[in-house]
Amino acid sequence: MTAAVLAGDSVVLMFGVFMCVGPLATRPSLQFGVRLPPGYTGARVIRRERRTYRWRSILIGIGALAALIALGGHTSRWPSRLVLVIEVAADLGCFWWAHQKIAKVKSAEGWFAGRRQTVVADTSWRSEPEAFPTRWLLPAIAVIVATVVVGVLRYPHLPAYLTRDDHRVQTSLASAFAVVVGQLYVTGLWTGLLVLVYRARPDLDTADPAASLRSYRKALEAFGRAGLVLLACLDASVLLFALRLWQVLHLSGSTNLLVALPVVAGLVGFLVTVVSAGRARAARTLAGVRAADRDDDRYWKGGIVYVNVDDPAVLVGARVTFGWTVNLGNPIAWLLVVGFLAIPVGLVVVRLATGA
Amino acid sequence: MLLSIEPDGSVPIYQQIRDRIVEAIATGEAPVGSGLPATRQLAVDLGINFHTVNKGYDLLRQEGLLRIGRKAGAVVQRDATSGPPGPGWEEDWASRLRTMLAEATAQGLTAEAIIGHCQDIVAGFMPVTCGGPAAGEAS
Repeated sequence: MTAAVLAGDSVVLMFGVFMCVGPLATRPSLQFGVRLPPGYTGARVIRRERRTYRWRSILIGIGALAALIALGGHTSRWPSRLVLVIEVAADLGCFWWAHQKIAKVKSAEGWFAGRRQTVVADTSWRSEPEAFPTRWLLPAIAVIVATVVVGVLRYPHLPAYLTRDDHRVQTSLASAFAVVVGQLYVTGLWTGLLVLVYRARPDLDTADPAASLRSYRKALEAFGRAGLVLLACLDASVLLFALRLWQVLHLSGSTNLLVALPVVAGLVGFLVTVVSAGRARAARTLAGVRAADRDDDRYWKGGIVYVNVDDPAVLVGARVTFGWTVNLGNPIAWLLVVGFLAIPVGLVVVRLATGA
Repeated sequence: MLLSIEPDGSVPIYQQIRDRIVEAIATGEAPVGSGLPATRQLAVDLGINFHTVNKGYDLLRQEGLLRIGRKAGAVVQRDATSGPPGPGWEEDWASRLRTMLAEATAQGLTAEAIIGHCQDIVAGFMPVTCGGPAAGEAS
């Protein structure tokens, strides 16, 4: 097993566990991407679909684990990628199934009929915005600086060829320092996304907007910190990879797995934070509330994808656990998606075209 | 300040924004000198077109409740502490009030019930500190 395979297998396991608990850790007024009015949050169809989804997602997770064990000992990255794709498709299929069942009953019984549907904004969110946790960015920057320093000191002593994975490349500034460019790219992109997230509109419950904003601020703070810790862990994994590439660290056999450890640990911490933030927001009750949130299901495709051309927001609160998604009805959101994908896709195309 | 609107309601959204801000000024939540969010920010937070927010702010500006500057943005210009209203305002308001009270009477609400509602609502507002005789009559 290599570090890349360990990372791939870990992602399969983490995604499996996340999909078992994530969709169930959402606010009572949002179940499987369906907006619910007060009084219907404990409806029979919802209890039934939650139970069914729980069992199905557990079975999918066990199935994925069994597939990884059956494929054990492989050194290619493809088996875990294939298992991941099947797992994602199966979990999303179960989510969509529950979404359809609830939406059908909601529509047939007219749960929102005759209700006042409101949208609420708290102006204190803009007058006293949540400060971006800049201090938590320092570990990631420190790791990048350390990588550059080691690289500069080591460069004159590098051999004529560097061994990367299973192929050799000629030593040059580009081949030796590509890892630093990778660190800078990921750090810049992720930090930029987090800054946008800090400016996104908070998803508030009409039932108790003030308490909802307080819980949103807490969840956002935890999310921001965990996100920046994940970034530092990712940069640390790249640093370990660089140390191996520059022959500072001589890893062989199972010690190679060390390279993947920081990023796997960071991902576990990040997902745990996301799910606990979702659970903390879900813990609030809606007892005794008459006003309902706006029934905006028509803008949510499958309860996951948001498309609303009348909404000027680029990022909006996701309907699963705690997170954000883009408004595909806004051209700026498309630019964001294209910008996000352009470099990785470009690199793959260049790689395929040159056969490197 | 909490701004709650009904996007699919019968009252136009810009009117709802204007009404909520007037109520916030009356309760003291938005006193003189306090800033309101920029139109684009409020539009994003409510998920509506920013021209709609502009229209609501413009109504408040025409009524003398809001000052809109390039640098300072939208700032509350008057509240219960700013003295009596301008000439002619009270007559205009009284005619609108007459319609509201007529609705209640036509629907069968007694005079005591109507006055009770008025007292409860005014009790939740900021006390008028230098309103003069005009404001005194209004309350």
